[in-house]
Amino acid sequence: MRQRALGSVLWLFIAGLALVAYAFAPRLVSDFHSRDLAHAGVFFIAIIGLNLLTGYTGQISLGHGALMAIGGYTTAALVVHEHWRDVWTIPLAGLAAGIVGFLIGIPALRLSGLYLALATFALAVAMPSLLKKFSGLTGGGQGLRLLESAPEQVTGISGTVTILGHSMTQNHFLYYLTWAIGLVGFLIAWLIVRGPLGRVFRAVRDSEIAAASAGINLAGYKTLAFALSGVYAGVAGALLAIQDEIVNPLTFTFLLSILILVGTVVGGLGSLPGMVLGAFFVQYLPDLSTRLSSAPGVPDFVYGAAIIVVMILLPSGAGGLLRRLARPLTTRLYTRP
Amino acid sequence: MARKLHVFLGAVVALGLAAVASGAGTPGVTSSEVLIGGTTPLSGPASAYQSVARGAAAYFKYVNAKGGVNKRKIKYLYKDDAYDPAKTSEKTRELVQQDKVFAIFNSLGTEQNQATRAYLNAIKVPQLFVASGATTWGKDSKTYPWTIGYQPNYQAEGTIYGRYVAKTSPKARIGVLYQNDDYGKDLLKGLVNGLRSKAKLIVSKQNYDVNDADVQSQIARLKAARVNTLMLFATPKFAIQSYVYAHKLGWKPTVYVNAVSSAANIMGLSTVGTSKKQTNGSLSIVFLKDPTDPHWTKDPGVKLYRSIMKRYKGGNPNDVYAVYGMSAAHTFVQALKKAGKNPTRAGIMKAANNLSIKNDPFLLPGMTVKTGAGDHFPLDQAKLERYVNGHWVVFGGLFRVR
Amino acid sequence: MLLAFDWTQLAQQIVIGLASGGVWATLAVALVLIYRSTGVVNFAQGEMAMFSTFIAWSLVHHGLSYWAAFFLTVAISFVGGVAVERVVIRPVESAPVLTVVIVTLGLFFLVNGAARWIWTPEVRSLPNAFSTRPIDVAGVAFSIQDLGNIGVSLAAVGLLWVFFRFTKLGLASRAAAVNPEASRLLGVRVSWMLALGWGLAAGMGGVSGMLTAPALASFDQNLMQPVLLYAFAGAVLGGIDSPLGAVVGTMLLGVLVNLVGTYVDWVGTELRLPVALAVILGVLLVRPAGLFGRVSVRRV
Repeated sequence: MRQRALGSVLWLFIAGLALVAYAFAPRLVSDFHSRDLAHAGVFFIAIIGLNLLTGYTGQISLGHGALMAIGGYTTAALVVHEHWRDVWTIPLAGLAAGIVGFLIGIPALRLSGLYLALATFALAVAMPSLLKKFSGLTGGGQGLRLLESAPEQVTGISGTVTILGHSMTQNHFLYYLTWAIGLVGFLIAWLIVRGPLGRVFRAVRDSEIAAASAGINLAGYKTLAFALSGVYAGVAGALLAIQDEIVNPLTFTFLLSILILVGTVVGGLGSLPGMVLGAFFVQYLPDLSTRLSSAPGVPDFVYGAAIIVVMILLPSGAGGLLRRLARPLTTRLYTRP
Repeated sequence: MARKLHVFLGAVVALGLAAVASGAGTPGVTSSEVLIGGTTPLSGPASAYQSVARGAAAYFKYVNAKGGVNKRKIKYLYKDDAYDPAKTSEKTRELVQQDKVFAIFNSLGTEQNQATRAYLNAIKVPQLFVASGATTWGKDSKTYPWTIGYQPNYQAEGTIYGRYVAKTSPKARIGVLYQNDDYGKDLLKGLVNGLRSKAKLIVSKQNYDVNDADVQSQIARLKAARVNTLMLFATPKFAIQSYVYAHKLGWKPTVYVNAVSSAANIMGLSTVGTSKKQTNGSLSIVFLKDPTDPHWTKDPGVKLYRSIMKRYKGGNPNDVYAVYGMSAAHTFVQALKKAGKNPTRAGIMKAANNLSIKNDPFLLPGMTVKTGAGDHFPLDQAKLERYVNGHWVVFGGLFRVR
Repeated sequence: MLLAFDWTQLAQQIVIGLASGGVWATLAVALVLIYRSTGVVNFAQGEMAMFSTFIAWSLVHHGLSYWAAFFLTVAISFVGGVAVERVVIRPVESAPVLTVVIVTLGLFFLVNGAARWIWTPEVRSLPNAFSTRPIDVAGVAFSIQDLGNIGVSLAAVGLLWVFFRFTKLGLASRAAAVNPEASRLLGVRVSWMLALGWGLAAGMGGVSGMLTAPALASFDQNLMQPVLLYAFAGAVLGGIDSPLGAVVGTMLLGVLVNLVGTYVDWVGTELRLPVALAVILGVLLVRPAGLFGRVSVRRV
């Protein structure tokens, strides 16, 4: 009893720290930097989604960039064509991507491992072409520009945003919006993982045969996992569109899918706490590499080397490291003295 | 839509963004320095175009070494957008809000610059000498008065080809290979405009995606349509492929190759891969001095270019994109001089809209960089050239390419 | 109706498709080799092949004849592949599969960056191994180069088959891939078998690059990126553990993409690859192991 109480207190403490960090981070950095943090938040949300699918349910997906595209374009299309307010499109963007995720999940039932990788890889590669093809809706190669086509629907166009009487810059607004959604998304994922659904997912990951023998409806849960991760990717894509105020096929290439996957694995598959680190890794490493030297090829070289080194040192990602660090703490809490 | 933006933003600018636009001192300008910035693809598949930025940077270092402009050195920051318009949007905001540049200069790419145009015009930051051949930079200057382009636009180039074919080969069977983005489509549109009533001479149009591996299939289709005049509206990799695949099919049409892919070193690769006969007779337009063309080896402008590239580490001197960048930088310097001892953003915009530069060492002799009321296209002249026995020979006079 | 149809065009598109596929085939074989030895798809295979192509270019630039440069590059690539396995893959040998995949993605960036750094990003060309003089048969044109590319791919597959089937080293390598624990007990140096697999794959990749560069008429650091996708798809279609399947799969894919692009109008250029990939997925849903792959039965 006492151990459980102590454990809960620890988690509450960490949660409290997180909230404080969330609230005060923008004060520690320049105004523009809040925008960078907001961008990291987009990765954070997408990574949570991919982790639910790959880390917890064992289904590999190389196509999360494509799901983000669905979300981003839903938002952009609603703003530009239907004149919706940009922030109100977020739920719909998540839903659209969730549906597409569900549809991907269906053929994925018959494919596993390598073949699922190819299928999702093919989707990621095909997405820019598909976006260019249906140009009536997507603006084709030009994409959609929210600021140009529907400026009154862009929150913060004047530079400041006022919520409940409290005024802030557009950059701060984007940060608070993105990370608020991120933290809520994290909480939901945490609850899922902790609960019966999470147990089923892990059962599917660890052994499909055993799970099926235990009566678990593999088909249902796999497609559910795809749909859920799709929702997260869609919301991330929507926030990306809102932050950058444009969508374009060139943004949603296979490279984006790779970045999300790298962030997820670096953050730690099957572990939620490392996700923040994974998001920061993919957000800041390319910039840092460019800062080291802008000679052709060097930033990519440094970036690639960093990924390799991190994976060699931390094969289970940051999550694995955190678990190892936390183990003495938690064992002491949970073991009889 | 755009007019709505104009009206709306006119009202909005008065609010919070006034601090960015004006204020006590002009952002980016100190007593010793003028800070400008732009975006360019330093990584990713389009990274070959970064020479546009590097060439310009080398030229600014040269000017600084001679004392700068009105005792100020020009500091040019260029950031990587990996050719992704979303990143262009982010980095441009960073340049404006964080680095507080005086103006955005020489950013590369059509979609990339379109992504930031509305924002820059809303906050009245000059978007100078956009490195893209789209028509909109000059055509839409009433809606976006703070934006101006530089190079001759693709549509105009296509028009020249169309007019020339209509005049000299009225019975040709034209086939077009074009990249399926604005660049290729603009060239095609221009071609159709130039052909006018003879547009039906186009018997086959094949496009390709920049991510394709090869265009063999498209070339075969063009040959099957019995095309005898081939328009290559394609980037260097695919232009070279087109020559080689045509050769492999035993097909030798008359080729019009667009300016982006007609640099002498590219044509050299096309010839080596096929035969002298395959590339002989190809046509193109040109407005820059090509450093790999033996014709210009002793030219003082090209010599200056090479010495600057060497001294200030501008990169590969055989890269014609670097020449372009230097020309753009040269024009910026003239505009800055014209903006006076205390340059403001409005001032340099006015200077950019009233250019008359006759001595650009990197452009063809006789060319003028000219803008004015009703003319927002700084470079709108070019010459036709024909590929004869391994090198380009200019013929005819200077065309107006608008 | 039959006479109005352009049969020559059809035959030409098929021939071109086979030729294109023949170019991608060697990279597909390299992917298969890595998969068989390490169980992952090496996303950096194309970049490593590209790097080998640049090495070949440098050798030719310094005066070596094409074939001398060719064999030297294959040898250098082999050593490079072994080195990569020892330095980068070995530390994560026992890590989860996805970790290894991420490492290959890191390699992708690293090798590409290195190639951009060492050789500037300008367009170059590699001499042709085979003649590109057009040969015309009944209105359909092809060249020795097309036949040569396909021939080299098949020869490579043949050599690999002989190696794996008839040599002790090949047998040991197969054993290590199928059952590492048992092989170790029998004295097979499993770790070095992995390195061998990577070396062979890298050598094959080098061949692939040196054939692709002349076939695509010019090359730069982006040479292999579109090819990787085709090679991956073709290898999976053919059966990811079968080198012969990889060759057949990529050639079929080449024909499919060309025919779809030529005859299905609404598809156009943008969608011809996605449509071809959809077809492959269709095949996989029906026959998950690919055309030539071994169907593994899972016993519960």
